[in-house]
Amino acid sequence: MYLNKKQEKMLEGEYGWVAAKALEVIVRVGESLGADKLVEINHVHVSGVSYTNIGEPGLEFIRDFSESGGKARVYTTINPGCIDLSGSSKIIDSSLRDKQLMINSFLEKMGFKPIYTCIPYLYRIPSPREHLAWGESSAVIYANSIYGAYTNREGGPLALASALTGYTYNYGLHILDNRRVSIEIDIDQIKREHYGALGLWIGYNIREIPMIKNVIEDYSSIKIMLASSAASGSHGLIVLENITPKNTYLVDNRLESVTVEYRDIEEYIGTPPSKEDTVLGYIGCPHLDPYEFIEIYRLLLGRRERRQNKYLLLSIPPLYSRVFSREISYLRKIGVDIGFGTCPIVSRLRQGFDYLVTNSGKAVFYMKNIHGFNTYIASPREIVEMIYG
Amino acid sequence: MGMRFKVDVVVDGKCSGEVIIIDKYISFFGEVDPFKCIYKPLEKKLVDKVMVFRGSRGSTVGSYIIYGLKKNNCNVKCMLVEEIEPILVAGAVLANIPLLRLINYNSFIKYVREGYRIKYMRETGEVIVEER
Repeated sequence: MYLNKKQEKMLEGEYGWVAAKALEVIVRVGESLGADKLVEINHVHVSGVSYTNIGEPGLEFIRDFSESGGKARVYTTINPGCIDLSGSSKIIDSSLRDKQLMINSFLEKMGFKPIYTCIPYLYRIPSPREHLAWGESSAVIYANSIYGAYTNREGGPLALASALTGYTYNYGLHILDNRRVSIEIDIDQIKREHYGALGLWIGYNIREIPMIKNVIEDYSSIKIMLASSAASGSHGLIVLENITPKNTYLVDNRLESVTVEYRDIEEYIGTPPSKEDTVLGYIGCPHLDPYEFIEIYRLLLGRRERRQNKYLLLSIPPLYSRVFSREISYLRKIGVDIGFGTCPIVSRLRQGFDYLVTNSGKAVFYMKNIHGFNTYIASPREIVEMIYG
Repeated sequence: MGMRFKVDVVVDGKCSGEVIIIDKYISFFGEVDPFKCIYKPLEKKLVDKVMVFRGSRGSTVGSYIIYGLKKNNCNVKCMLVEEIEPILVAGAVLANIPLLRLINYNSFIKYVREGYRIKYMRETGEVIVEER
């Protein structure tokens, strides 16, 4: 791999042991993938920070870099951890609080911004063709597909290494020629409340980079579709007709065409729970953007009591505790559980549920695997009505 | 002498042992338990095994799960795959688990059976399959 003088010096330790070690990891991974050089990046988003997910090995990995004096060389943001930062959730378990706070302090000591959300574009919107090193598959696909930024799906440790060096390897989605559409998918027949299930279908069935035609221009629903396909598949870029910025992707001359119908995605939607089932209604995977949050707040205005054995959990960026304090105190008053800077995918739950009802295909994918729930995909309105009547 | 299959070396290292055939795209986060050392959807034990699978998918936390397999002494001997992506490669590099890409994965998967042993021959860039 070609390294310029500054990079060579960094590798030799002139910028400190931590930067040298981190760059060594990036170069090794880049060379293994066949990358020709490194690229400078402007924003790193670090995933793999939940103690529930990464355990002691991950904590030690982060601690080694932090305690050795590692410092962010570029703007770096942090993904959600495994605890509700407000300490009030009755659904998200807090028994690993000390361990999670340790990880948070190691990350913050390195100068990483404590945003604790999986929607880092809320804080800094990427530009077209801007190189990033983002972990968090749902954020990566959003950056590439909506903003036309260039980032691979970086594994958690690699994003961390990029934060400490300011570089990633020139490979995959950093190269225009690899951002090539070879199949088009018409989703005209799919309603927006089923975009979570549609995303799962795309992830399971399509390996190539697709172009989606006739998408409904509702960015909250698109966010859910993209996140779901990045969970069940390995998509980092899905081109959306008339949305993805031009000149950030190429299109093959001859495209295979596929039309998705309701019957294709039915199996991912699942079946509704019965009255007797203990149900977790969950909205916020990825974290709620401000529009979604207000939409759900309005759906809940005037509701009084939850039905028996029915619970509602929202997961949001910690920032909203300041921006939406009035709305949050109302939601808490009517028994809505709110997780700040966390979500049930990266945490443990205090109790079991028979069913998960959510609008997110990503939540369905992981919570089936991790918590073993039955699942049903529904719109926020249907979820609210199921829980509150 | 067993059948030989060409490989590209992605992460180099010694590799020989009994294969465990998964033949899917694995989401390491969610599908692999690095504490129990198992691949959950098929309940397959990974200890001391050569993992054979198509590639990786899903969460970017996957790299830490692979690293966790090493730290928790699951002793995965190496990984034989059809496709590579950064999350998998980063995990393999950090964990020092050899990662080999089979040039003709489909022929390999048709031939190999659970319990067969393989040996990676660095000099020739091949894996040799020894039937049980």
